[in-house]
Amino acid sequence: MKNSSKLVSFLVPVISILLAFIIGCVIMAILGANPFVALQSLWIGAFGSLRNVGTTLARSTPLIFTGLCACFAYRCGVFNLGGEGQFLMGSIVCCYIATQSGIEGLPAILLCLVAGAVAGGLWALIAGLLKVYRGQNEMIITIMLNYVATLFMGVVYTNWLRDGSVPQTVSVPDSTKLSRLFGLRVTTAFVLALVAGLLVYYFLFYTSKGFQLRAVGLNMTAAQFNGFAVKRYILMSFIVSGAIAGLGGSAELLGTQFRLINGFGSGYGFDGVAMALIGQLHPLATIVVAIFFAALRVGSTTMQAATGVPTSVSDIIQALVIVFTVAGLAMVKLPQFKAFLGRLTDKKQKEAA
Amino acid sequence: MEFAMNVILSSVRMATPLIFLALAELYSQRAGLVHIGLEGLAAIGSLSGFLVSLITGSPLLGVAAGAAVGILVNMIYAYATINLCAEQIVYGMAINIFAPALAAFIYRVYFGAGSELVQVGLMNSLASMLGVTPTSFIGKLFLEQTPMVYLAYALVIFTAIYFNKTKSGLNYKAVGEYPKAAATLGINVVGVKYVACVICGALAGMGGAYLTTCYTTTYTDGNVAGRGFIALAAVIFGRWSAGGVLLACLFFGFCDALQIRLQVSSYGVPYQFFQMIPYIATVVVLAVIGMKKAGPKGVGKPYLREER
Repeated sequence: MKNSSKLVSFLVPVISILLAFIIGCVIMAILGANPFVALQSLWIGAFGSLRNVGTTLARSTPLIFTGLCACFAYRCGVFNLGGEGQFLMGSIVCCYIATQSGIEGLPAILLCLVAGAVAGGLWALIAGLLKVYRGQNEMIITIMLNYVATLFMGVVYTNWLRDGSVPQTVSVPDSTKLSRLFGLRVTTAFVLALVAGLLVYYFLFYTSKGFQLRAVGLNMTAAQFNGFAVKRYILMSFIVSGAIAGLGGSAELLGTQFRLINGFGSGYGFDGVAMALIGQLHPLATIVVAIFFAALRVGSTTMQAATGVPTSVSDIIQALVIVFTVAGLAMVKLPQFKAFLGRLTDKKQKEAA
Repeated sequence: MEFAMNVILSSVRMATPLIFLALAELYSQRAGLVHIGLEGLAAIGSLSGFLVSLITGSPLLGVAAGAAVGILVNMIYAYATINLCAEQIVYGMAINIFAPALAAFIYRVYFGAGSELVQVGLMNSLASMLGVTPTSFIGKLFLEQTPMVYLAYALVIFTAIYFNKTKSGLNYKAVGEYPKAAATLGINVVGVKYVACVICGALAGMGGAYLTTCYTTTYTDGNVAGRGFIALAAVIFGRWSAGGVLLACLFFGFCDALQIRLQVSSYGVPYQFFQMIPYIATVVVLAVIGMKKAGPKGVGKPYLREER
C-alpha cells in the first residue's frame, strides 16, 4: 500500500502534465499552428543545445528559490504567499550594497547574498509576527506586503537609484557579478539554488528540528500537546522561507539581471507556490518542477518564432498543470478512489496466489 | 472642501468593485467555502467585460459576460473543492494562477503582440441617462454614478435581509456552520455549495468587469491589483455581515481614493508611497482587529457525506 501511494503521488503530476500538454496542443491547433512542429521547437528551444540548456537552468534559478520558499513554509502549515515580496526586498538591499557600498569582488558578493537573505527573512517576519501574535491570516498579509515591496522597488528604480533618464537602477559592477558556468548563461546562482534545496531537504527529513517543524504543519494542536514550541517554529518557518526567497532575489540580481527595473521578479512568488504544490512540498521535486517550467518558458520563445503561437501559451500549460495536479491529488485521497485502488491490488494478489 | 468632496465621490467609485468581490467571498464562506481565488476570477471577468463591451459596444453586456465567465471558471473550483474535496485554499491559489494566465493569453491572441492600446467606452452614469447634470455635491453623489454602484448597494441590502430574515438564508448559513447537521435537516448541502459557487463566480466576475466597463477604458494584466485579497480582508473586517462588509469596503475604497488624490497633489514625494496606502491600511486593519473569530465554523473543511 505504501508503494502504491508513492506511485500515485508520482503519477498524478505526470498525468496532469500530459493532460495540460494535450490541451495546449489543441489550443495551438485552433490557432492554426502544427502542434508537433510547435512541441519540437519548444524542445529545441529549451534543451536543443548546450547554450539553450544553460539558458533554461539560468531561468529556473529564481523559480527554484521561490519554490523552496513556498515549500519550506507550507511544511510548517504556513501559507506564505509573499515569496515575491521577500524576493524583491532581498534584491533591493542587495542592489544598494552592490552599487553604493564601494565594496567589490567576492567580499561584496558574499555580503550582498547574506544581506539579501536577511532582508527577505525580516520582510517575512512582519507577516509571521502578525500571524503568531495577532492571529491574522498570513495569506492576505503576505500578498499585501508583496504589493508594498513592488511599489517600494518602484521608488528605488524611479527615484533613489535611478540611472539617468531611464527608469532603472544603475548596474552592479562587473566584479560583483556572479560568474557564469562553462561560459553559459547559467551562473553560480544555480549551484547555490541546488545547495539550498539539498539543505532544506536534509533539514526537513533528517533532523529532529525538521521533524518537529513538519509535525507542527501536520497537526498544530497535537504538536502543542507534545510540547513543541509551535509559535517558535511558525516564526522560524517565516524567517527561513523569507530568507530563501531573499537570497534568490540577490542571486538573481547579481547573476542575471544586474539592475532593478519594472517587472523584476514579477510573478515569481505565485510561480513558486505552484511549483511547491506540484512537487508536493518535496524540496527536490520542487527543483525538478522549477526546471521543467523554466524549460517551458525558454522553449516557448523559440516556439513563437517558429509557429507564431504566443509565448503565453506556456503560462496556460503551467496553469493547467497546477489545476489538474491539485484536483488529482485530492481525488486520489477520496474514499471511493482508495476503495477502487484496494480492489485492484486485491485482484492482483488473488491472481498471484 | 473641494478636496474632501472629490475624495468622497471617488471613494464610492473605488469601493464598488470591492463590494462585489467581498459579497462574492461572503456568499462563498457562508456556505463553508473559503475562496482565495477571487483575484483570478476578477481578472478573467475584467477581460471578458472588456472584450464583450468592445465587440458589442455595450458595457452592460460586458458586465453580464464578466458574470458568466466568472461562473464558468468558478465551476472548476466548485467541482474540485465540493466533489473532489480538494483543499480550498490550495485550489483557490490554483484559480489565482490559472485565470489570470488565461486572461493574458486571450488578450494576446485577440489583439496580437505589440498592438496599440485599445480603449472602450465606459458605462454612462444615471445622471446622463436621465439627461440631467447635477451641480450640487449631494446630486453628484446620488445621481452621477453608474448603474453598477446602485446594483452593489441593492445587493448589500438584499444580502443582509436574505441571511438574517429568510428561512432559505438561514438554511444557507447552516451549511457553512455545520454541514452535517444541515444535512440531517434535509438541506441539500452539496446543492447549496454549488449555488454559492455560482453566486460567488458571478459577483467576482462582475467586480472584475466593473474595472474595465466603469473605471478604466483599457485592460492591462494585473489590473485587479490585489482587490481580490483586499475583499477577503473586508469580509474579515466586516465580521461576515453584509452591513459590516459594506463599511469595510467603503473604508478601503476611501484609502484608494485618498491615494489617487494625494498622488495628484504631491510635490517631490515618489507617487509609489501613496499607492502603498490601501495595502498598508489592509495590514494595519487586520493587525488591529486581532484574532476575534467570527466566521462560519465549517469554513475550509471538506464535506464528505459518508464520513462520520
